Amino acid sequence: MLALQLLVNAVALGAAYALVALGFVLVLNATGAVNFAQGDMVMAGGYAAVVLAGSLPVPGLVLLPLVLLLTAAFGVVFSLIAYFPLRARPPAAVFISTIATGIILQNGANLLFGAEPRAAPALLGGGILRLGAFVLPRQSLAIIAVAAVLGLAQHWLLRRTQFGRALRATAQDREMARAVGVRVDRMIAASFALATTLAGAAGFLLANQFFVTPTSGSDLILKAYIAVTIGGWGSLAGAVLGAMLIALFEVGVSAVLSYEAAMAALYAVLLALLWLRPQGLIGEAARARA
Amino acid sequence: MKRGSDAGRGALAPLLAAGALGLALYALLFASPYAIRLLTLAGIDALLVIGYQLIFGHAGALSLAQGAFFGLGAYVTGILGSAAGLGFLVTFPLSLLLPAALAALVAVPTLRLQSHYFALATLGIGQVLLLGARNWDAVTGGANGLAGVPGVIVLGIAVPAGLPLLALIWAMVALGGALARHVVRGPLELAFLLLRESPLGAAAIGLDGGRLRLLAFVASASYAGAAGALGAHALRVVSPDVLGFPVMVTCLAMTVIGGRLRVAGAVLGALLLVSIPEWTRFLEGAYLLAYGLALLAIIILMPEGVIGVLERAGAVSRSERPLPPVRSRPPPQPAKAACSECRLDIRGLAKRYGGVEALAGVDLALKSGEILGLIGPNGSGKTTLVNLVTGVDAADAGAILLDGAAIAGLPAHGIARRGIARSFQAGALSPSMSVLDTVALARQAAERRLTLGRALVAGHGRRAFEAARGEAMHLLESMKIGDIADRRCGELAAGLRRRVEIARALALRPRFLLLDEPAAGLVTEERRRVADDLAALASEGLGLLVVEHDMPFLMPLAHRIVCLDRGRVIASGTPAEIARDPRVVAAYLGTAAPAAG
Repeated sequence: MLALQLLVNAVALGAAYALVALGFVLVLNATGAVNFAQGDMVMAGGYAAVVLAGSLPVPGLVLLPLVLLLTAAFGVVFSLIAYFPLRARPPAAVFISTIATGIILQNGANLLFGAEPRAAPALLGGGILRLGAFVLPRQSLAIIAVAAVLGLAQHWLLRRTQFGRALRATAQDREMARAVGVRVDRMIAASFALATTLAGAAGFLLANQFFVTPTSGSDLILKAYIAVTIGGWGSLAGAVLGAMLIALFEVGVSAVLSYEAAMAALYAVLLALLWLRPQGLIGEAARARA
Repeated sequence: MKRGSDAGRGALAPLLAAGALGLALYALLFASPYAIRLLTLAGIDALLVIGYQLIFGHAGALSLAQGAFFGLGAYVTGILGSAAGLGFLVTFPLSLLLPAALAALVAVPTLRLQSHYFALATLGIGQVLLLGARNWDAVTGGANGLAGVPGVIVLGIAVPAGLPLLALIWAMVALGGALARHVVRGPLELAFLLLRESPLGAAAIGLDGGRLRLLAFVASASYAGAAGALGAHALRVVSPDVLGFPVMVTCLAMTVIGGRLRVAGAVLGALLLVSIPEWTRFLEGAYLLAYGLALLAIIILMPEGVIGVLERAGAVSRSERPLPPVRSRPPPQPAKAACSECRLDIRGLAKRYGGVEALAGVDLALKSGEILGLIGPNGSGKTTLVNLVTGVDAADAGAILLDGAAIAGLPAHGIARRGIARSFQAGALSPSMSVLDTVALARQAAERRLTLGRALVAGHGRRAFEAARGEAMHLLESMKIGDIADRRCGELAAGLRRRVEIARALALRPRFLLLDEPAAGLVTEERRRVADDLAALASEGLGLLVVEHDMPFLMPLAHRIVCLDRGRVIASGTPAEIARDPRVVAAYLGTAAPAAG
């Protein structure tokens, strides 16, 4: 019984991590740059939900599209400030500009909302769901459902639409995409928008059970980073799998030992993994630098 | 810009010296205790950043472990100083050594990783240390950390807090900065530049990139350890905060803002970032926000940091003066007689990429003084063969023998050092390096003058590099490209770039030279010059393998020609025989080829 509840919690957490990691990979593929502010975008999404809920007394499910729209617009602005001015520079420059953006977001949130944790409304009301003998938190189930819908929607967008084809073409070979008439800059901005939208959704979903604080994104970016590494740098499916594995590991080890021990073990496993399989668990054809 | 930035650097020296003097006078005469404390912290950060420049700036590897090494140094001093009661002369060296040892240990699995994996792996180190420090209460004091860290006490004499400690720390900064500058300058600085901009090119002149990165990583860790130790002495406490990610972010920001490569940039970055929060203090709660905005503005507006802007201003204010001319000098006679009977034998060489059989058992032999042409349609395996012989890629099967000794499996730099040089089809030059430096660096590497021992003893100053530059000039003049010695490789047209690559390969004094399409993209006149150069080299005893499509170029030049098709040798013989061979004609014209053996 307990095991099943833990499993549902782990999958819910993993689903939220997966949204963050998916956004991370989208930007990575489109630009080759590591977006270190992705975790802070989650935090921003959480606060967006908190603010909207304060002024609009509607159920969480109605707020969700509003949060998604807001964070999408924010993603475009973010790309204009932190990516496009630096596109011709080495990747480390974008890495640092996104770190700077993260600092701005964290301290901006601290100014606006203070350091105490805030909670966003639940998606379909809080409480628990009884299914026979099983007692499951509603919000965990809602997280899994929303993440699955968003994940599938993204998959459909990338695989089945003209827009998605242009986006993938940009990610594969920017110059070639430009040559065949893809508006590369728009596609890159769209990738950022999608990435922050996914992060914003994760922020909304997590901010109910786990609350949101100005620094709650820092932990998430590390987990997304690890998920993407485990899953093979650049693979969308791998990122989802990596996120699930991390969440299972985290919930499982925390249940037996402690959260701190779980994190230490996670990093230890990661280092061992990088040592034994430098190409990631699922395997990008990454070559070690000769 | 090479010339400009050198001039800028020179013009900047008096300005920087005046700034340092002004700051010293301020600290002595006017500074409040609070200002002295800030300057102390800035000194500690400067030392941290000088170290970080080695791995991040020079070696070009995004390490996120510098904060962890800083914290480790602080904990070593904290634990040994407060609990074990050891003095500075014991704790300080150990605070340098332990981070260095940890760096060496983790470098083995991590340094071969690609940049983003390396960044994550190094980040992981910090997180593991942080969790250890928080939870190993008995030794680290857990979340509360360690209080009562003693001040700096040397041979019973305590260095009081305030001005004396400030002076000690800045003396350490000066020492550390001078040491870093002493070692990483001239040819070693160029070696790192080539390693950053063209790792293949670095390996091709025999530079061991892994070793260079390892040295930079270990050195950066000891600087961080020193900074951490001094930080523990200055603050008198050590808490898990010293291991937190913010330390790393601050270090990275200081490096980017000050400048990645110059010691003066590290000092400027540290002073600026310690001061910015003070200047924005009037914003109260928003001062960290302003800090983030300033960081973002500087990364966007100043690609080479504050020091880069100053240098450029210095270079403009001073009319651009050319560097003193290099006196061309012939290279010394090689110790061993020019190889007249060397052999390069390739047997059964095979390589697959996924499902594609790039080479399927190729035999070749090349002798000193011989020019062997290698032809074949696109995708027939010519470049793969060159890559396997030069160690850029590993063969699946087969043997490569240099005078009977197996060299397959050696790294690219090892093969270059054994006397097999090459050029690259796409080019492997550092775009921002001058032509003269490019060739001189290869001379320096060939004579094994790029060792750390030499760097520590003699430095890599202009004098140590003078001989190599003179010899490089001689080589360029003999190839009739002495006039472009000052140009940057990135500015050159394709034809000139290719000849610079050949000059660089020759600077290694190779026994064999493998050229990948040396005539591609050249006009007739240039082609003739390259052909003349190659014929002259062969007559001096160099063995040449020339991959080429251009038959009019190759026919009069080559002694023998081998034709590859789909990874197999389909014909070999004199140029005249090859030109008549029906299988070669078929392979090139695409008519049905007779079954290849």
